[in-house]
Amino acid sequence: MTPVLRLLARRLGISLIVLVGVSMLIFGIARVIPGDPARIALGPNATAEQVDALRESLHLNEAIPVQYGYFVKDLLRGDLGTSLYTNRPVTQDIAQFLPATLELVLFAGILMVGIGLPLGIWSARYRGRWPDHVIRLVSLLGVSAPSFVWAVILMLLFAFFLPIFPIAGRISDIYEIERVTGFLLIDTLLAGNLAAFRDAFWHIVLPAFALAVSGIGQAARLTRANMVETYDKPYIEMAQAYGFRARRIARKYAFKPSLIPSLTIIGLDFAAMLGNAFLVEAVFAWPGLSRYGVAVILRKDLNAIIGTVLIISATFLIVNLIVDLLIAFLNPRIRYSQRGSS
Amino acid sequence: MRDVLRIEDLVLKFRGYTGVTEVLHGISLNIRAGERVALVGESGSGKSVTARIVLGQLQELRSAQVQGGLYFEEQDLNRLSRRQWHALRGTHMSMIFQDPTSSLNPVFTIGVQFTEVLRRRDPKLSKEAAAKRAGELLNSVSIHDHARVLNAYPFQLSGGMNQRVAIAMALANHPSLLIADEPGTALDVTVQAQTLHLMHDLVERTGTAVLFISHNLGVVREFADRIYVIYRGRIVEQGPTQAVFENPRHAYTRALMAAVPRITGGGVPEIQDMDGAFFDPLEVHGEDRP
Repeated sequence: MTPVLRLLARRLGISLIVLVGVSMLIFGIARVIPGDPARIALGPNATAEQVDALRESLHLNEAIPVQYGYFVKDLLRGDLGTSLYTNRPVTQDIAQFLPATLELVLFAGILMVGIGLPLGIWSARYRGRWPDHVIRLVSLLGVSAPSFVWAVILMLLFAFFLPIFPIAGRISDIYEIERVTGFLLIDTLLAGNLAAFRDAFWHIVLPAFALAVSGIGQAARLTRANMVETYDKPYIEMAQAYGFRARRIARKYAFKPSLIPSLTIIGLDFAAMLGNAFLVEAVFAWPGLSRYGVAVILRKDLNAIIGTVLIISATFLIVNLIVDLLIAFLNPRIRYSQRGSS
Repeated sequence: MRDVLRIEDLVLKFRGYTGVTEVLHGISLNIRAGERVALVGESGSGKSVTARIVLGQLQELRSAQVQGGLYFEEQDLNRLSRRQWHALRGTHMSMIFQDPTSSLNPVFTIGVQFTEVLRRRDPKLSKEAAAKRAGELLNSVSIHDHARVLNAYPFQLSGGMNQRVAIAMALANHPSLLIADEPGTALDVTVQAQTLHLMHDLVERTGTAVLFISHNLGVVREFADRIYVIYRGRIVEQGPTQAVFENPRHAYTRALMAAVPRITGGGVPEIQDMDGAFFDPLEVHGEDRP
């Protein structure tokens, strides 16, 4: 087995263990918090018999480990149970709401990498001169406020005072887009409706940017710090002594070694955006998983809570796995190391 | 014979928080075509900064002030634009560093780095042609499994192997001047000796002039035709290697030569930090030229 495959297998194994742990934890917590889910679901007018019957059908009268056993049995068949809030299978609910959140987070991730890394490179290349000072100030500003604050600020500035962008939502009501992937930016293109694509694009810019601001700042600062360190390495001195072009050194010979340590943190930031997305979605009335998640938590909709948390954890783990593979791909020491450990 | 490099009254100052510090107090040296010249001194004496000044790298630091004449292949370097000077690096002048392994980029293969160096002279060189040329050059430093070495990353090769690669790269574009800044000091002694022999043969064959920077007198004695002894930013003695070694005239040169560890014991030899005699004027040994 090549080291990369071994690394992949190892990480997949660890991810699975983490998922099992998360499922147990959230399963226990959801049942320990006060409130009777059956009573909340049926409302105050239901009779005690009705409530009891529902509790029985949900196995709520059993011990928690036994309940977990039922849950795992269903899960292995791909069944996360039925939501008491929407009366639909939880998997169906998630399939409906997750794409909007993923679209937002992915777009924000692209902004983070696409803006943050070049800023960091630029800053390091002009260390101590004015572009560096400006970029450092801006990125410090970016990491200094949480994303929901940026969401409110950006909404006020660019949707309210200067109405450049739409104030909320995913797309204007006038467009009817057939759902294929659930990603509006893709679905509109598949439908060949450029006007709708433009509209969806304008809608996603502000929330995605709000979500990405701190990540952009973080990525820029990190990249700069690592690049500055790399610039002092003998191999950069050698590249300079051999007259490699400064731009080429910045973008290739200094960037690649500097990216490797930054990438882990960027991956974590990216995954953290999944959590922050809940708040940004709330500000921009973005119809994603957050609205669903908050609603089901307040209603103590056990199956839906666990389903939502599990899906987010899985996404988090997948992102980390991708980052690990990227690092292995960039860093020959990992690719060729005998033990394949990370 | 014409000079490849001539340095006249070079002064280097650094602006720092505490004011201006003068590091080089007016050094002059010259290297003729194909000549191997050593610049010898302790660490901090100004050897390496001299090399960086010749390459024009130090001048890019805003805190450095450089004065004095610099002539390379009869051109006044100070009159060249930054771009023109930059164009000389890696083509007409190149450099070998102390630690070959850390002076090669760890995340690119030798082949990629070699290609980049070869493209300094010939920007349109194709990948295949570069690999072929690199193979020939590796041959000249006694590396015969080119394909493996070109596809390897520096950490996969031994220090001696990397040093050979570095030598091949340094001479790839037929520079007229090679600056070797303590080459192979990071290697073990036998490997260092081997690679130095290799380098010696190669520069002799290609007629490349070498500015050899070192603190190791044993190595210098074998390698150099002529030496300059530098102490605290001043050249204190200069002359043909043999003459200087046989009859060191300057107090500092004598102290430097005495400071060699001996197998009979006596601990690590030390050079007194300050000695009035060390500031005696320059001693020049007779040469076959004015």
